[in-house]
Amino acid sequence: MSRLRIEGLNKAFGGVVAVQGLDLDVAEGEFVSLLGPSGCGKTTTLRCVAGLEEPSGGRILFGEKDVTRLPSEHRMIGMVFQSYALFPHMTVRENIGFGLEMRGVSGTDADKRIAHVLETVQLKGLEQRYPRALSGGQQQRVALARALVAEPELLLLDEPLANLDAKLRDEMRFFIRSLQQRLGITTLYVTHDQSESMIMSDRIVVMFGGRIHQIGSPEDIYNHPASAEVASFIGQANMLKGRVVESRDGVATVETAWGRFSCSTNRPVAVGSLVTAMVRPEALRLTNGADRSDFSGRILARHFLGNVVDYRIALADGTVISVQAMSAGALPAEGPVSIKVDQDKAWLLQ
Amino acid sequence: MKLRRWLFALPALLMVALFVVVPYLNIVLMSFRTPSATAIYGPGFTIQNYARVLTDSLYLGLLKDTLLYALATTSICLLIGFPVAFHLARTDSRWRGLLYAGVLSPLLTGVVIRCFGWIVLLANNGLINQLLGLGGLGPYRLMYNPVGVTIALVHVFLPFMILPVMNSIQSVDPRLGEAARTLGASGLRSFVRVLLPLSMPGIQSGVILVFVLSASAYIIPMLLGGGQVSTMPTVVVQQLMGSLLWPFGATLALVLSLTALALVALFGALTKRAMRRVA
Repeated sequence: MSRLRIEGLNKAFGGVVAVQGLDLDVAEGEFVSLLGPSGCGKTTTLRCVAGLEEPSGGRILFGEKDVTRLPSEHRMIGMVFQSYALFPHMTVRENIGFGLEMRGVSGTDADKRIAHVLETVQLKGLEQRYPRALSGGQQQRVALARALVAEPELLLLDEPLANLDAKLRDEMRFFIRSLQQRLGITTLYVTHDQSESMIMSDRIVVMFGGRIHQIGSPEDIYNHPASAEVASFIGQANMLKGRVVESRDGVATVETAWGRFSCSTNRPVAVGSLVTAMVRPEALRLTNGADRSDFSGRILARHFLGNVVDYRIALADGTVISVQAMSAGALPAEGPVSIKVDQDKAWLLQ
Repeated sequence: MKLRRWLFALPALLMVALFVVVPYLNIVLMSFRTPSATAIYGPGFTIQNYARVLTDSLYLGLLKDTLLYALATTSICLLIGFPVAFHLARTDSRWRGLLYAGVLSPLLTGVVIRCFGWIVLLANNGLINQLLGLGGLGPYRLMYNPVGVTIALVHVFLPFMILPVMNSIQSVDPRLGEAARTLGASGLRSFVRVLLPLSMPGIQSGVILVFVLSASAYIIPMLLGGGQVSTMPTVVVQQLMGSLLWPFGATLALVLSLTALALVALFGALTKRAMRRVA
């Protein structure tokens, strides 16, 4: 049974449509990210689930219970805001205790739960501090503790890491994910950062213009994007256009002006149709010689990225693609090169 | 550097010294003078003036009335000003500028003109009573009594409540209220526990401003009281201009000032705890 179910959610702000016909099921204990560029409706969706926006249409269910019209305070959710929204006039302890107090938990029971959650987010000893006396990372943990202490049915996070510096953000990704798994709490997470969603999520919901473009596991979204938009939003992608010359058993062979290559597909494609294949930069292999390669090109530039080397390569018709190879056995900075496509990692787009 | 900063402040300091401190000292001095029928004050000093103000139930009653007007005006201003301030602080309506101008409008004309405006509305044959008359009601006495005075005081001093409160609310992240809701607080509890304490700096300024201004108001109780309503300022002016009792008038004025100051200090002490947490 799904813990959270969104059915045909619509939300418009005075004629401007923010979310359109959104359906989503989130299973018990699952971590689902809403991923997309700003203005794609991901935050609006989250706010509808939180009860902070009233949907223009559709239903929201927690388990069997329809909560579409239920006020936020009766929904048993925990929410972390991008700005953390800690109460500046309350100490860390009072901030965390607020939710318990509102739900009628007091005395030693409250003390025990606050102490426990402070231990969970590793903030022991800071109970009497005010939020302004905390670092960004500590404020973030207080916000998490405050959201979790009342043991909500659903944890909602709205870009919680956007205001942290890069190093801390990396740490917090793993911290939040492992905490979520330890507690087994159903989580809906909003972000515009694709690597963040990949690291943390069981499933990713990719949204553009108020609509869902794809729902899938991180691997699925990365390797088998549903559209060119999804492909280029999630990591780097080369788009190779051509005509199908052969198609069987989930493999299509594509003919282009500069050669032919094979790619995977999950649908039957007619021979002769014009298609676009998505090939990740690391799914292409470069060789110096003229062995059995799919096609050839010319290296325009080479950039050292640390773990990999990025090559810009011009194909025969002028198309520029990006290829990433391990640093070892680096090729020269320019000149002719042979290219082979890894068939399993090349994907035919719809 | 420090000296230079002082130099910039010098014109203002001179103004304050010349037109505030010196006159105040003069009033303090005056309040200890003896009365005289022929001059502004007689020879020698006395504390008789203070003894009279503080023992005569007439003047103590007057002081009480004046402070009650100020208290009522302040409370009503806070009560009706807060929602307006909240709306102004949070609205993204394109009428925001107009609303803002509306709030400031009482400050756009002189207080005398505004009082005459209220007289037109509140008089026994004024607009309000005429309208009530159409419904077979009234006429009610709406002016030359405490009701009329309070209405005009509220109208004139309302902007002094709304502006600082609005500023305070603007500095409160709207997400805080939402966070409170997601944590299980009803709208009312969210208001009481989050928005209200965080608006305290503005409420404090507004309350002090309106209280002090309405306690010292002269023209409004004069015109809308029509001689039927006496407050400390009206009596002070009577003493100075009518009876030419300068020493006693000065004493009355000082007693009012000091009492108001004491109440403001008391209010400050009571709200100190809340303020310390917000600042």
